[in-house]
Parts: sequence; C-alpha cells; structure tokens
Amino acid sequence: MYDDFANPWNIRLKWVYLLGVVFALLMPVFYTIHISFNQHGFGARIYDFTFDWYRVVLGDTLLVASLKWTLYLALGAIAMTIPMALLSAKFYKRTRRKVAFVALMLSPLFVPADIMGSSLLVFFKNLAKSFVWLDEALGVYWFDGWFDLGFLTALIGQVIYVHPYAFIVILITMSRYRVQQTEAARGCGATAWQAFWQVEFPQIRVGVFSSCAFVTILSFNEAVRTALLKGGFDTFSNVLVAQMLNIGMSGESYAMAGIMSIVSMLVIGSVIVFTLLRTERLERRARAMAQPVMSS
Amino acid sequence: MTDPSAIAVEVADLAKDYGPVRALNSVSFSIESGQYYALLGPSGGGKTTLLRLIGGFLRPSAGRVYLHGQDVSHLPPNRRPTSMVFQNYALFPHMNVERNVAYGLKLLKAPLEEVRDKVERMLGMVGLEGYNRRMPHELSGGQQQRVQLARSLVLERDILLLDEPLASLDAKLRKDMCLELKRIQEKVGITFIHVTHNQEEALTVADRIAIIADGELIEEGTARDIYETPRKRFTAEFIGDNNMLGGVVADISDGRVTVDLGFARVGIAARGQAAAKGDTVALSIRSELLRIVGPGVDPDASWQLMPATYVEAIYLGLTISHLVRLPDGTEVVARVMSGERSDEDFEPGREVTVGWPGDRARLHVA
Repeated sequence: MYDDFANPWNIRLKWVYLLGVVFALLMPVFYTIHISFNQHGFGARIYDFTFDWYRVVLGDTLLVASLKWTLYLALGAIAMTIPMALLSAKFYKRTRRKVAFVALMLSPLFVPADIMGSSLLVFFKNLAKSFVWLDEALGVYWFDGWFDLGFLTALIGQVIYVHPYAFIVILITMSRYRVQQTEAARGCGATAWQAFWQVEFPQIRVGVFSSCAFVTILSFNEAVRTALLKGGFDTFSNVLVAQMLNIGMSGESYAMAGIMSIVSMLVIGSVIVFTLLRTERLERRARAMAQPVMSS
Repeated sequence: MTDPSAIAVEVADLAKDYGPVRALNSVSFSIESGQYYALLGPSGGGKTTLLRLIGGFLRPSAGRVYLHGQDVSHLPPNRRPTSMVFQNYALFPHMNVERNVAYGLKLLKAPLEEVRDKVERMLGMVGLEGYNRRMPHELSGGQQQRVQLARSLVLERDILLLDEPLASLDAKLRKDMCLELKRIQEKVGITFIHVTHNQEEALTVADRIAIIADGELIEEGTARDIYETPRKRFTAEFIGDNNMLGGVVADISDGRVTVDLGFARVGIAARGQAAAKGDTVALSIRSELLRIVGPGVDPDASWQLMPATYVEAIYLGLTISHLVRLPDGTEVVARVMSGERSDEDFEPGREVTVGWPGDRARLHVA
C-alpha cells in the first residue's frame, strides 16, 4: 500500500540498506570472480587480466568430465523433480491438511546434508544387498547392481534434496491460479489433460521454468550427498571441494568457482529479466488498450 | 422416468456428502426443456452443489442425474450436454476474448471459418462486437461475464448452468444483465439453470424457481406462485418482505381456518394445508398488503383487522415502511408507495388498526 504521508527519505534509506545487504552478501563472490581473471592469482600485488585459468579448467579432461556428470545429474533431477513437484503442488491445492502436507514436503530440508547422505548410503547399500539376496533366492540376475552406488543413487539423493525447493517455487506461481478456469475448460469439453496443458500450464509456466533453473543451480551447488552416493564419477562441486581441501585455492579453483557463480547468476538473472520484461510488456499493452470501465 | 424429449434435467434422490457433512439431502425435481430455472436460497444451502452435480463437477454420493433422459451421473463435465458460466475468475487470462470464446469449438476441431463465424455471431449476441483482441483483464466485470456467456453459448449445448453469474456485479449492472440473460435465453431457447441467492434476480429471470436451503428442496413453483402463495414458512420468510405471525388453529370450516393470534382472531384460506384444530401454525402477510386503517384505507367486511401501536416510518425512496407493534410485541411492517400516504399521518405511540383485505395472508403449517 502506498502511504502519501511517508517520509521519502525513509524509503530511500530502506533501499540503501537493502542494496547494502545484497552487496555485502555478494561481495566475496565478486571478489572470487575478480581473482579468477588475474594472471597472478590470489594475493598478487599486480593484476593482469586473463582468461588463462578458464582455459586450463576447460582443457582439463577430469574437470570437463565432472562438468558433464553434473549436467547429466541436473537434467536427470529436472526430469524427475519437476513432474513430482507439479503433482505435489496440485495435491496441496486440493488437500485440506495443508500445513501437514507442506511440513511433509519440506522435511528433507530439516535433515543436515551429511546425515541425509550417510542415511541414504546405508539405505542403498542394504537395498543392494537385499536385491542380491532376491536374485539368489529366485536363481536369476535380474536385480543385480540396481542400487550399487552410481548415477541412479546420486540422482535419487539429488531429487530428495531439490524437490522441496521446486515444490515451493511452483506452489508460489500456482497459488495465483484459479481452479474455476480448469472447470471452465472441462465445461467447454476439455479432458483433464487438455485443461491442464492448454489452460493451467501456460499460467504456471514461469514457475516451472524457474524451478528448472533452480534445480540446475542446486545440482551444481551440491557436494556432500553426491560425494557419498556418486560411486565412480565426480561432479564439479566434488572436484572443487577436493581440490580446495588437498591443494588449497589455486588460480584454477578460482576459475571453477567463477564458472559456477557466473552460470548461476546468468540463469537467475535471465529468469528475472525475462519476467520483468514480460510483465512490463503486458502492462504497456494493457495501458494502451484500456478504456474507462462502463456499466454495460 | 418422464418423457425425455420434454424434460431436459431430472434429478432423482440426489445427495452429496463432504466427509461427515451432508451438503445435499435426497433432492428430486425435473426441468422442462427451454425453461429458465432458478435455484434460489441462502448461501451455504446446497444450490451450487446441486448445480455442480448436474454439470458433472461433483460425483453424487447417492441418487442419479438424467439429462434428456440419459443417466449421466457417472460422466465427467466434458461428456455432458451442459456448459457453465461461473461467478468470476473463469476466463482464461492468457487468451484474448476471441480465443476464449473459440476454445470449446477448437476442442471440437471445428473448421477455422466456422469458428470465426460463430465467435463473431456470439460476440454480437452478447453485445461485445469488436472486443475480439481484448484480454480479460482489459474488460469490466459485466463484459467478462458476457464473454463467459458467449463461450458457453457458442457450443450450442442444450443446457446452460449459471453459478451466481451476476454476484460480483454492482446493483445497476446486475439489473441490466438480468434482463439481458432473459432476452438471450428466449432467443436461443435452451434450458438455463441459474443459481442465485438474490430473490430479485431469480424473480426477474426465472420461469420456475426452486428454493434450496439446508441441503433440501424446500419448495418449487413458478416465480408468481413462490412470491404470492408460498406454501412453506421458510419460503415466506425468505422471499419478499413478509410479516410472520404465530397462532393456534381455533376453528376450521369450508376450507377456511380461524387462527387465534392471542390478541385477535383472523380467518384465512387453508389452500390445501393440512391444519387441525389446536395446531400451532404461522401465517404470513406481505408488507405491501398490510395496511394501517386511516386516510385512504376503507376496510370492508372481508378485511382481517388487528389492533396495533404505531412505532415509526422509514423512508426508503420508492416506498415508505410503517413500523407498528402488535399487542404481543411482534413488530410488523406496512409498506406503501412514497406519496401514496404521508408518514405525518401517524404519531409514534398512537393506537391504530392494521389489517389486510380478503384472503391475502397465507397459512403455514410447516
């Protein structure tokens, strides 16, 4: 609500404070990116701009492989999480026990990453043993290796981690959607799927795409669960953390951190810019076409 | 089963439970083809539930729904010969007016030319020519409801369901749209089922009205019957501005009942109501039929008269409501047209006589 009597300096000060907080939060990230472009690395008195560290990173087959695995993990997580989050959000709108349902959906967030990772590790190891036992009991090899540590176990761990975030993002967009529109579509002859795809989805599309972006970023961000569940491959975060722990921060590490930060900011920035531009375009169009509301 | 060609909608013992709550309790009635039918009642009475059961948006807990003689109780909305106009928020906000109206036709894969023609014709019918490119948020509330109407009518289905379609409109617009709806219904000739809690709206548009309250069908009849001769006490209290009086049956003879009000005895036609001597009954008299005996009012022998004390006059623009108190403390209203009688004629506290001519009051045993 706009307050005509508010002191304009209060509003300006609030903005200064807000931007100050955001700047303070992002300062280390920008500093890391800044160093990643220095020929002489961290702590050097001379600053010579270079892309060399990025060339080294992108020329390192181990790192490129880890990037690929992370990307596969992100794509797998999107493919599994987004439909699940959509269904969860739709169920939330229908259920009467909303608080209990949200608590259930968000519960993975309340378990520390290392606890969740180690619990899943134990669970998958036991599951793998059970399947081996099942194979032996049946005299077949059908279930052998299903839950050996690898891409599938890392993916399941990742889905458990990102699902609450995707659920919340989609739910926020979906909260503006009116179920009468689905009913109106059904009344016009649409099947349940047609009503969803032609009427509901276009209105929650922004939330779905934002969730995809979020899941991608979280996949690049996650290290602990994947380290415990990944089996024989490395993700980008695993390599970065291992490198920092073993040999400290090198120019290469800064470049890796820079890649992750820039990609994350570009994805989030693109979503924000797209949303803002779209909103402004719609408002401009509405202003151009609007006419006084008449009583007939 | 009734003749399917004449009956558009028939519901038989229809019930709906929401968990432990029974929203609709064994309702049965039928609607003739081409009728404008209103489901009228207080909020939360079950009328929207009933409409949604007819439209297939809810599955009945018990009972059947027949549309043109076919049992459709198990069918979803897209497989019923109905379309629906909602109270609000039901236009697709990402589609312009033309695409909204054309939506159902495109689902039917109608040829593009036909779609265009029908959409133009329908927008013309609802008075929105030239609005094709407008987005829903660029329309007023009344215009949005017209688009909804066009979107439903363009499908040329036999039965149109309207769920409080005018509830979100202002009073003036609601009045205009009522007449518009009636005009359109007469033009297209299909069955309209209109849910409303607004009695004026129902009386304006409907050929027949069903009163729904507490999940029950209280009473059903023509608009005139429901207004002028309600059989149930609830109907009398809900429709019109009625004065309710309680009493005991003192005598019954020749289809007339004498009711002892405690301070006066009044005679009233039984009109088929099964009253017995000694029964506690109610009688209702519309405020516009009640008169204060004074200048311009000359009661004859047919009048039923009662003593009262004048309380006050309330000016309501078109009418003036004269409030009087009966000897048992009940306050009743006599409503007259402004200018017909001056409120200066009566001083508050003055002893007056009130009454009504002939058999204008109605007896209610339930």
